[in-house]
Amino acid sequence: MLRAFRLLLRPGGRTGFYTIHTSPGLDERLRQRAHRSGPWAVAAAHQPGELLRRAGYVDVAEFDVTDEFRTTARLWIEQWDTHRDALIELHGEADFASRQALRRTELQAIEEGLLCRSLVVGRRPG
Amino acid sequence: MVTRAEREASERFVQRYRESRVDAVRAVEQAVIGGDWGANGYTTVAQADRLGSLLELGPGVVVLDVGAGRGWPGLYLAATTGCSVVSADVPVEGLRLARARAADAGVADRSWSVNASARTLPFRAAAFGAVIHTDVLC
Repeated sequence: MLRAFRLLLRPGGRTGFYTIHTSPGLDERLRQRAHRSGPWAVAAAHQPGELLRRAGYVDVAEFDVTDEFRTTARLWIEQWDTHRDALIELHGEADFASRQALRRTELQAIEEGLLCRSLVVGRRPG
Repeated sequence: MVTRAEREASERFVQRYRESRVDAVRAVEQAVIGGDWGANGYTTVAQADRLGSLLELGPGVVVLDVGAGRGWPGLYLAATTGCSVVSADVPVEGLRLARARAADAGVADRSWSVNASARTLPFRAAAFGAVIHTDVLC
């Protein structure tokens, strides 16, 4: 997809994205666990900055925003618990519990250093 | 071609876009994200501002927001930086909400919605000054 996006950019145009990915240096067992703990598409074999470079972008910069990711993940759980009654009325008990369980799994993976989130920017050569 | 995982994710989002934006949902988003744009992921208002700054968005720049959902953060960036934005996504329900939000935010004349997958984007080459996506590519 990153290559296709590059072609859509005018020369010198920029791309930027936030992405959740597995932490670098995990062994295969931990990487698989990270995949199971994160969003459905956490599957890339390379770190995001490297993916962007391989797709032909230049001036690539990568910023680790995992600390903010952890804070936001925790806030989603806390805020949903705070508004539990209204959200159960909206979503139903089972869906509420399911979403909170997924969030807790993801937060645990972040806290164990399995999942990261990065901001990555790059430019189409112009 | 849309994969099974992508189809399932899309169906989940369709369901979410049909949910009412009751006061509790707005309060949660305000507390977590810092705004009320229909965001349900991890990109905060401060992070959207950082993205817009790094990409030097402003008037005259046409941005493609891939996997835009209800228009977050593309419409927000259009409202705050003056750029134009094309929101692209698969669930039509999200794009309808994005159109309504564009009008509310005063950027309807600088924003467009396109029903398309990230894998088959129907645009000519070199059409955009910037391409953004948030937690679409994982």
